[in-house]
Amino acid sequence: MKFLRQKFLGQKFVGQTLAIAAKDLRSEIRGKEAVNASVSFALVILLLFSFAFDLEPEQIRDIAGGLLWLIFAFAGTLILNRSFARELVNDCLDALLASPVSGAQLFFGKCLANYVLIIIVECISLPVFAIFYNVRLPQRLALLFLVMLLGTWGITVIGTLFSAMTVNLRLRELMLPTLIYPMLIPALIGAIELSRALITGGPLAENMIWFRILVAFNVIFTILSLALVEIVLVG
Amino acid sequence: MRLKIILALTVIAGLILSVDLYRIFLQVPDEANQGAIFRIIYFHVPAAITSFTGFYLAMFSAIGFLVTKDLRFDSVAASINEVSLAFASITLCTGSIWGRIIWGIWWTWDPRLTSFFVCWLIYVGYFMLRRAIDDPTARARLSAVLSIFACVDIVLVWKSIEWFRTQHPGPVLEIRGGGGMAPGMEAPLWWNFLAFLMLATALILIRTRQEGMKLEIDALRRHAHAF
Amino acid sequence: MNPQNYNFMFYGFTVAWLIVMGYVISIAVREKKLRQELDRVKKMIEEGESTRR
Repeated sequence: MKFLRQKFLGQKFVGQTLAIAAKDLRSEIRGKEAVNASVSFALVILLLFSFAFDLEPEQIRDIAGGLLWLIFAFAGTLILNRSFARELVNDCLDALLASPVSGAQLFFGKCLANYVLIIIVECISLPVFAIFYNVRLPQRLALLFLVMLLGTWGITVIGTLFSAMTVNLRLRELMLPTLIYPMLIPALIGAIELSRALITGGPLAENMIWFRILVAFNVIFTILSLALVEIVLVG
Repeated sequence: MRLKIILALTVIAGLILSVDLYRIFLQVPDEANQGAIFRIIYFHVPAAITSFTGFYLAMFSAIGFLVTKDLRFDSVAASINEVSLAFASITLCTGSIWGRIIWGIWWTWDPRLTSFFVCWLIYVGYFMLRRAIDDPTARARLSAVLSIFACVDIVLVWKSIEWFRTQHPGPVLEIRGGGGMAPGMEAPLWWNFLAFLMLATALILIRTRQEGMKLEIDALRRHAHAF
Repeated sequence: MNPQNYNFMFYGFTVAWLIVMGYVISIAVREKKLRQELDRVKKMIEEGESTRR
């Protein structure tokens, strides 16, 4: 028990994890490629949805939760794809694996960095969505933000792990979405239902089950990923 | 020896299926609400249970590979998953036809059928992943991890789709039109299940041998090109 | 008894059997190809050894 605590909560673990996260964030903030591409993609999808659906405002509010999370999932995949792929240039991935940083630390650091980036993209997309579709955002904005935080962590954890899995494959960009979207269904359904309830002003009490599913999904897959990532990265 | 086992399994399975077909078509009476189409359940449900069992067995075999690093575990896991995927396809098709009769539409987003479709998609992705990796050890390693994730995820997927459908009800394929099934009617279901299991085992044994041959060819080829 | 039901039921059974048959046939085809490949590689090795000797 003490060994586990030291392994996962010790100074070194946290320090090195944050170092990896900071490295990724710094390189992204300087380049701004992934976030720009992701936000542009989100705007394009918003535009396409406007042609695909021609609905009354009440109907739009009903499907707003679903649309929002589809946009978040699609735009997030762009960022997740780059996560490990960016390390392939100049053999950086091999260098990282050979360094004292453990697989779990590398994975968790990248998770944190991806998480922050996807949240940024979501925070930019949400007001744009509200403006384009004339959806008045709920009073309970803080709760909606909480749902975004929970749902995005689910997407990030699975996405980062599968990004590590597919990093060396030829059809990386094709395989990542194909593999992660079916696996993300519980998290996406939970997030969509909670967002729908918040945006349409429905009762939250009956939707607590989705909250529980989201939390369970996050906990289970974070633990599973941390346990298995070493095998995926190194063997 | 192995060939004899495979042959024996197939023959017994064939016999059971033939007897069952006779009973299903001629002895079981039509169900009250659904009529003749009800009999498709005798293939839909056993196929579903067989494929689900297969996926979980494959996960244990994959864990076996991760622990022992023996590639034979990976061959077994891949074979089981492939046969289970075939049975899952049967489940989806028969379920869809059942829905066509009951509800008049080819697909109904019934919770069980939807969960099965998700499962099917995940394992199609599994085989895409295997195809994309050339090195046998890396392929075994990554597909084992995917298998573990898939099996853990399927439980969550099943539950969440079920709860989703209770909040947004749609057409549901009922196994039991009224209450339970009459005792005389349930027997062919379990016999069919046994037959499917035997058939699946025979196919898995054949496939595992093929995977073993593939590994042997790889090794021989490396040996040949080394000189 | 609605005759249309019988039709669809037979479609259902046919589809199930077709999938099983298709799968079994694909396994058999793969078996043949693997055997040919195995024989080819074995022959290649034997030729290599005999020319070296």
